[in-house]
Amino acid sequence: MASVSEMYDVTWEEMRDKLRKWREDNHRNSEQIVDVGEELINEHASKLGDDIWIIYEQVMIAALDCSRDDLAWTCLQELKRQFPGSQRVKRLAGMRLEALEKYEDANKQYDSILQDDPTNTAARKRKISILKAQGKSAEAIRELNEYLEQFVGDQGAWHELSELYINEHDYGKAAFCLEELMMTNPHNHLYCEQYAEVKYTQGGLENLELSRKYFAQALKLNNRNMRALFGLYMSASHIAASPKVNATVEKANVKYATWATNQINRAYQLAGRGTKENKCSVKAVEEMLESITMS
Amino acid sequence: LSYFCLFHSGAYCKMLLHAAKYPHCAVNGLLVAEKQKEKKKDSHSTPILCVDCIPLFHGTLALAPMLEVALTLIDTWCKENKYVIAGYYQANERTKDFRPNQFAEKVGARIAENFSEAAMIMVDSTRFTMGCYEPILTIYDHHENKWKCRDCNADCFEDWCEAQKITSALLEGRSYESLIDFDNHLDDLRNDWTNPEINKSVLHLC
Repeated sequence: MASVSEMYDVTWEEMRDKLRKWREDNHRNSEQIVDVGEELINEHASKLGDDIWIIYEQVMIAALDCSRDDLAWTCLQELKRQFPGSQRVKRLAGMRLEALEKYEDANKQYDSILQDDPTNTAARKRKISILKAQGKSAEAIRELNEYLEQFVGDQGAWHELSELYINEHDYGKAAFCLEELMMTNPHNHLYCEQYAEVKYTQGGLENLELSRKYFAQALKLNNRNMRALFGLYMSASHIAASPKVNATVEKANVKYATWATNQINRAYQLAGRGTKENKCSVKAVEEMLESITMS
Repeated sequence: LSYFCLFHSGAYCKMLLHAAKYPHCAVNGLLVAEKQKEKKKDSHSTPILCVDCIPLFHGTLALAPMLEVALTLIDTWCKENKYVIAGYYQANERTKDFRPNQFAEKVGARIAENFSEAAMIMVDSTRFTMGCYEPILTIYDHHENKWKCRDCNADCFEDWCEAQKITSALLEGRSYESLIDFDNHLDDLRNDWTNPEINKSVLHLC
């Protein structure tokens, strides 16, 4: 089988840089990481210098994702040898036990980390992941809430909690988590847009109006966010069609929805350049426009 | 009297490719069938041929707005192509969790409003192998507001051997890396959720 460097005509430096980019962006493209990382480790270890340790960690986690226990074990041994007694490596050993579904052993591993260092956030979060893997959503939610009382600034944890709530259809609490994230990240258009989606899903006129406002806000922060654009169209259309709104509100929302449809139309024209599928989407969008102006 | 849907190889393989592309996420999507010209009112129901699959979302599934957008756009596309939305599939985030949840039932019911023989399909990831030795779906039919489970075996396919061969080949070749779902489309409108390249690969292998 051809090597990665042969197939894609890349140098080992480019492979190393690619791994770094994936690390920084927190990409979970585990198969690719294993392909590139394994080759880098096997063929170019000596050239990597101190980078090799973080690469071992990255490749190990990706290997666990791909059920490559052989590779994960190798990486773990190298890390154990270089960093004996390290909590960070202990956590990786715990993750390997999780991948093998040895949850009791994994929990023991994390508990021993927490005994030495009760503030170790990584170990606490792994324990919550185990609850999630076992389908114990209520417990995972409870533990995550407790964790966030102590570590209020952990954005990843707030986001994880919002997703857990959404899966349980507890949209009110999911919205609360996203509110926390929006407060600390006022320029993040994704949180705005997700908040709007949750409000929309909650339903009811008040939530629809809130969702429309936040879809609009997300667009202000990033005018290429298609979900926000579609969301603005959907929420404004629903509000306009509601029997509970007066003529002024209806008119305003028809205006918002029409504006959104035109923007969507434009976006598709720009992207489409006449391909067959996009012609259909453009047609669907045109039909959406017709449906508002007719009412 | 039981309705049953037959899977075209392309429809089956796209479902599995979608699940394979995001093994750590829940995924869902729609199945489309050819619109039947005359409705036969006799006791033998004609099988519905699920000719294509439109992968929708991955990750957090249970939010309404983008699902509504997808249903609207895909419905229009169906009308253009004389298709009808005939089913909904879902693969849950946890491998061992292959039962339909409240969300799947809701979407299934919504589709059944427009197409009474709609099927809800759950993917059983515990039996997911590269070789595709057996169909890994569970099919649910809508009867009197309840979802009744029906086993999925080779009889549920237009040609199971072909479906197995094609799906296995595309999995080995990592075609799932280029599969486009509606989420990918929303990220970049140039991403085509009809997956013409994969359709071509399927035809090649037929």
